[in-house]
Amino acid sequence: MLQAEVEETIKRIQSQKGVQGIIIVNAEGIPIKSTLDNSSTVQYAGNVHQLLMKARGMVRDIDPQNDLTFLRVRSKKNEIMIAPGIEMYTQFLLG
Amino acid sequence: MSEDEEEDEEVTEPKAGPENDLQEEEESKDTKEGHPRELTEEEKQQVLHSEEFLIFFDRSIRVMERALAEDSNIFFDYSGRDLEDKEGDLQGGSSLSLNRLFYDEHWSKHRVITCLDWSPQYPELLVASYNNNEDAPHEPDGVALVWNMKFKKTTPEYIYHCQSPVVSVGFARFHPNLLVGGTYSGQIVLWDNRSHRRTPVQRTPLSAAAHTHPVYCVNVVGTQNANNLITVSTDGRMCSWSLDMLSQPQESMELVYNKSKPVAVTGMAFPTGDVNNYIVGSEEGTVYTASRHGSKAGICEMFEGHQGPVTGISCHSAVGPVDFSHLFVTSSFDWTVKLWSTKQNKPLYSFEDNADYVYDVMWSPVHPSLFAAVDGMGRLDLWNLNNDTEVPTASVTIEGAPALNRVRWAAGGKEVAVGDSEGRVWIYDVGELAVPHSEDWARFGRTLMEIRANHGDGEEEGPVELAT
Repeated sequence: MLQAEVEETIKRIQSQKGVQGIIIVNAEGIPIKSTLDNSSTVQYAGNVHQLLMKARGMVRDIDPQNDLTFLRVRSKKNEIMIAPGIEMYTQFLLG
Repeated sequence: MSEDEEEDEEVTEPKAGPENDLQEEEESKDTKEGHPRELTEEEKQQVLHSEEFLIFFDRSIRVMERALAEDSNIFFDYSGRDLEDKEGDLQGGSSLSLNRLFYDEHWSKHRVITCLDWSPQYPELLVASYNNNEDAPHEPDGVALVWNMKFKKTTPEYIYHCQSPVVSVGFARFHPNLLVGGTYSGQIVLWDNRSHRRTPVQRTPLSAAAHTHPVYCVNVVGTQNANNLITVSTDGRMCSWSLDMLSQPQESMELVYNKSKPVAVTGMAFPTGDVNNYIVGSEEGTVYTASRHGSKAGICEMFEGHQGPVTGISCHSAVGPVDFSHLFVTSSFDWTVKLWSTKQNKPLYSFEDNADYVYDVMWSPVHPSLFAAVDGMGRLDLWNLNNDTEVPTASVTIEGAPALNRVRWAAGGKEVAVGDSEGRVWIYDVGELAVPHSEDWARFGRTLMEIRANHGDGEEEGPVELAT
């Protein structure tokens, strides 16, 4: 995938019905790219990061050979999909 | 784990500060509700351009798109509290209901769909070929997109293109990774999904030995061990190729009727199970049977009836207790669809319910008396001859009434794919109508007898019985 396609892909997904936003964070949970406004981004990023660490910790605790691959948080109003990278980036989608 | 994170941080974002500070910051972040430190624009760009990021992004966005599109609501409440969210037409019980629409903003726009083919290996894959986009002369003239019915994502599974408008396309029956395309220039192209290229991996030469006119018919016939690609161009040239070597045809011949001028072939079909004899339709409206090998190789018989170019031919394919493989239907610019038998050189019946050019017709692969036809007014008609021969049993006008260029049944006979003149592929579910019952074959036999009995009116001379 090329750099230009990344932009295009993000725009395309963002414009799909039901998608509120896409946020990409690094391993620390610091947002690198987001289609939402700054304050929402920071709020989501911080919260998701903590949840992600907990979830990952749980999976590894139960089975050290295992690792978290995908996390979906479904709420009454919407859904957050979280794809963790290999210790590097996490991307989540609010639907 | 935190150690690993720190290491990666150093690799991806060279930020000043000893390790201790970073660790402290992390801890403080957990204990207090502090703001995570921001990255500068430059750092962000650096990350976004890095190789690891691109790999990660490509992988995870793919999964995200699928998850996003799936949307099968496991929380659905049948008591109705969720109904305000429910959308889409609930067409329970109707014969034809829209299932999917395949369209790509970049590749489908302003292009006419020239051909459709379902994959014999993966029934959820469908390939559509497109001709050129006049509004975008710098884009490739020929496009072929492979669409996937199984997942709800709206982007093509594979994108292929070439230099000349693609006018026919098909999955290579015995080579599951290959797609064959016939182009306007006469060149046959081969795409391979194992390669990362979107351009063809093989092309036939543009020489007099091969084709120099548009190739509207590409067909792989034979068996796993002995198969050929048969292609026919509009100048009447028929070539037979081996898919391993497209540099020259294995054999070629001119399709000529009665030693006069060649036939301008617009369509070709092989009856089920036959690899030698086939049927071609021409620009003049005449249909011919032909054979590839034997003492009478070339055009055999002439079938007259249509008064305009033949746009589509389909041989009967539903297998059942009675053999109807001698039947075929044709569609034409003369607003009709005609039913023929290879044993008679005049049509058995003419279906005249359309008010525009009929662009394509196809028998159902499972139901003996059912076929679909599409016309220039956006109508998709399903004719069930056991039910009625005067009017279609089910009909729908596609949204926007575009001219419909192609229709193809899926192998299971439960869906039809329709390609229109605006680059859209519509997949319709055919309900109860598509399901054959065992008595349908016997009934069709009786329907045929009735058709033959009534045939006398309107024809000056009776049909000539032909030796098969």
